[in-house]
Amino acid sequence: MLKQASPSYIRKSMYGPDPRKRAAELAGIGALEIRDLFPEVPEEIYREGADLSIIRNATDAALENVNMDKIGPDDSVNILSSQYGFQLMGGDAYAEMIRTIHDAVRARTGCENIRLRVATGFRIREPDEIIRHYKLDEFFQGKARGVRALDRGVPIETDIGTLYGSARVYDADWIIHAHHGELRELDMHRMINRAVKPFAMSYARMETRGVAHINFGPRSSNLIARVIFESEFVQSKFTFGCFLLTSPEGIIGVEAGNDLDRLDRKLMTAAFKSYGKIRELLSEITECIAVMDATGEPRYMVGGGTTFGNLTEAELDLFDLDIIPVSLGYGLYERPPGPRVSSVNPAIKALVLNHMWLGVPQMELPTHIPTIVVGRDLAEILDGDPMNREFMSRVVTAENLDTAMEFAYGIAKTDKVFVFDGSFGAMTVSESLADFLLDRAPEVRRRVDDVLMPKWLRQRGLDMEQLSDDRPD
Amino acid sequence: MVEIKNVARVDTEKCLGCAVCQNVCPTEAILVVNKKAEVSPEKCVACPNCSGMCPEDAVELVPRAEPLKLGLNWRQVDQDRLVEMCRKAHLHPHQWLCLCSAVRVRDGAAAILKGARSPEEIALMTGARTGCTVYCFQTMMRLLKAHGVEIEPQKGYRWYDSTQTLWDVPEEIVKKYPGHFLEEDKDVFRKI
Repeated sequence: MLKQASPSYIRKSMYGPDPRKRAAELAGIGALEIRDLFPEVPEEIYREGADLSIIRNATDAALENVNMDKIGPDDSVNILSSQYGFQLMGGDAYAEMIRTIHDAVRARTGCENIRLRVATGFRIREPDEIIRHYKLDEFFQGKARGVRALDRGVPIETDIGTLYGSARVYDADWIIHAHHGELRELDMHRMINRAVKPFAMSYARMETRGVAHINFGPRSSNLIARVIFESEFVQSKFTFGCFLLTSPEGIIGVEAGNDLDRLDRKLMTAAFKSYGKIRELLSEITECIAVMDATGEPRYMVGGGTTFGNLTEAELDLFDLDIIPVSLGYGLYERPPGPRVSSVNPAIKALVLNHMWLGVPQMELPTHIPTIVVGRDLAEILDGDPMNREFMSRVVTAENLDTAMEFAYGIAKTDKVFVFDGSFGAMTVSESLADFLLDRAPEVRRRVDDVLMPKWLRQRGLDMEQLSDDRPD
Repeated sequence: MVEIKNVARVDTEKCLGCAVCQNVCPTEAILVVNKKAEVSPEKCVACPNCSGMCPEDAVELVPRAEPLKLGLNWRQVDQDRLVEMCRKAHLHPHQWLCLCSAVRVRDGAAAILKGARSPEEIALMTGARTGCTVYCFQTMMRLLKAHGVEIEPQKGYRWYDSTQTLWDVPEEIVKKYPGHFLEEDKDVFRKI
């Protein structure tokens, strides 16, 4: 018998419908705890709803060894953030890390002109919603502003020519990179220079985001972020980075430092330890109904502390650099080289969209999976989505979640259900899927520990000793 | 064929003529004239940019009386020239040019062979760049350059001419950044 599931808070947005009945309330759906699958996954220090002082204390501790000498009392500083951090566990932990960075910088440097920049993808108004929801403009005394790919640019001379950042990101004397270690787009960054990725995405103009996404390949794209970060311009402004580290259990710590290479190695080893087995376990699933029921677009919606993108791409081990993903980003997905796999994992027999936001091109979903949209309000929002113009012509609409699930069971002919409801610490699943995953976990553990983990590390010039080396530098 | 069901409408009472809309429009459909934004409905592709970016909430998308239909038949152009352009751009004709509108590279190449000389013109001939307006931009620029089109610098910040590709990275830079699989990724693209 599964325990009661704890879905994540849904933030109201113009990009999605009003919150409605959650999938966790459905009969037969409950929580499969991550520790029952893999007790060795790094333990959380914080999970949604816990005391935020845990995050404040961890951030303060991480910042203790950071050198802030560059910042003078009369200087200006931009703390750079990205929208996805505010989607993790209701966003409060990320917001609290940012507030703590602000307070530490002010206390240690005397600087008062500390501003916040909230970057986003394609939801142009999302930064305004974030700033309003977390009362960040009040906290930053009217100095919190959004960053969009379409904002005025600033040229950045790099080793491969002129690339463009958002002028608003770099309009201060100094910048602080406030990010997180959640996998998000593993198909794009492949854990190669993961720590600097936002310099080619969140903090970049649309041309440069396109250079990284479209003009480079499935292992080389993060070169763009690297050359931007190492440019004279960015180095003349960069002070330090501060990251929320995550595992499927929750927030597992905060890491900060002036040396992003060191932080990058931490993120890499933490990602392998945190997500390696869960990702591999997803590849074992042969049939399921996936239910979207959280904030954000499906691809980045979290279930059991890992994103739906990890299930749609579960046929391929994307930590393995010999593998080429079937990525939309490179326009390859209908004729990919390498293994002949589908662009969406065929184990997903039906997709129920209960709560979601617009935000990315995602026609690969309704063109590959029977898809049921819950409610006319969500259907109306999807029908007006310019990024997926044919979406509603390829799906069916159900009046409510219960009828949507009845329909999904009929099409999928499986009772294995996996709900992506933003939860960390446990997967929200049906009993049958829980039993299946518990049965497969021991073999997955053996495969990752004995075969895959050493390979992932070797490919990136690391060894098993470095995996267990958690000492502060 | 891409059907555009909406069109941008400007509330001239709210519009301050800041020209943000002009700078984010992918088809030059909205221009500031006498300190007020004006929309050319025949060019408006109802992307989310002007309405989303306007600091005064002066632009909204409203239904069109009749949908605007955009698209062309790529078979109507010289196929050898189309393939040659794609080859020079290191793109496959069948690849997506625009995921949002399901327009392929061959459509963009055909638009250029039919006379398009800018991303804006490719968008209006094919229906591409009508959604996110971001990820198709590079592919359009690569096709234009492969065809030898001289790119006119833009006033403002509608776009910047920056189209680095995997194929342009000098050897010394490949060596400077080991572990980025540049040569290996070229092989991935060569296979298509």
